[in-house]
Amino acid sequence: MARAFKRNGARFVARLDDDEREVVARLLEQTLELLAPVPREATGDPFEDLVARLGLPQLKDAQDDTPAAPRDPALERLLPSAHRQDPALAAEFRRLTEYGLRERKAANLAMALSALQDCDGDKVRLDQDQAQATVVALTDVRLLLGERLGLRTDEDAEGLQEQLDAASEDDPQLYLAAYYDFLTWLQESLIQALMGL
Amino acid sequence: MSIAPAELARTDIEQDLSADRPWITLVWNDPVNLMSYVTYVFQTYFGYSLEKAEKLMLDVHQKGRAVVSNGPREKMERDTEAMQGYGLWATLQKDE
Repeated sequence: MARAFKRNGARFVARLDDDEREVVARLLEQTLELLAPVPREATGDPFEDLVARLGLPQLKDAQDDTPAAPRDPALERLLPSAHRQDPALAAEFRRLTEYGLRERKAANLAMALSALQDCDGDKVRLDQDQAQATVVALTDVRLLLGERLGLRTDEDAEGLQEQLDAASEDDPQLYLAAYYDFLTWLQESLIQALMGL
Repeated sequence: MSIAPAELARTDIEQDLSADRPWITLVWNDPVNLMSYVTYVFQTYFGYSLEKAEKLMLDVHQKGRAVVSNGPREKMERDTEAMQGYGLWATLQKDE
C-alpha cells in the first residue's frame, strides 16, 4: 500500500511497493521516449555539428520549409505553441526553444526515474534536486496521460469519474485513468512537502 | 540625401511606438495541472510571495488565464520557455 511523500529532514520520503514503482517507472520511461530530443546526425560540417552539440537550432532548419509531419497531440500539449495569434512568431519560438526544452524535460524524467529505481526496499527517498526534478517529471507524465484520456477542459476532468463508471472492465482507458489518479495523489503530496505545507 | 517617402516615415514612427509597448507572459488554464503545483511554480521561478502566487493561480483557474510577468520581449521569451519547461501552458504577446 502506497504512502504519500513526506518531508523527513532534508529528504522527501514515500513508500511504494514493487508494482507501484514499476508502473511509475514505465510511465516515466514512456514520457521520456516521447520527449527526448532526436539526436541530430553529424552533417560533416564542423560548424553545423558544433551548433547541434550545443543544442542550438541549425542554420539549415531556417531554410527547411518542408511541412512538418503531423505531431502527436500530446507533444502539442507538452510543447505548446507560444503565440496564439502569430504563427510566424510561434514557429520561430519553437525553432529556438524546442530542443532545449526537450533536453531539460528529458533530464528531469531521467533523474526521477533513477531516483525511483535507487530505492531502499519500498522507501523512495529524494534529495531536494531529485524532488524538484520529480515534481516536474510527474507533471509531464500527467499531461501525457491527460491528453490520452481526452482531458481538454476542467469539465472533462470532473466528468472523468462518470466516464469511467460507464466504461467496460477491459477498457484500456480504465488503466490510464487509474494511473492518472495515482500520480495526481503522489504529485500532490510531493508539492505539499516541497512547499512545507 | 533624399527625402523618405511618407509611407516609410509613418512605418518608422509606428515601430518606435510599438517598441515601447511591453510584452507579457500569459499562463492559461488547463485541466491537468494542480492548483498547488501552479502556485509552487510561480513562487519557485518568479520568487513571488505565496499570496501573490496564489492570487495569480486563482486568476488562471477562474478567469482562464493570467498575466504572470511583463517586460522586454527577450525576457518574456525566457519566462515563457521556463513556464513551458514546468509544464504550464504559457504564451507571450505584445501587451494590448
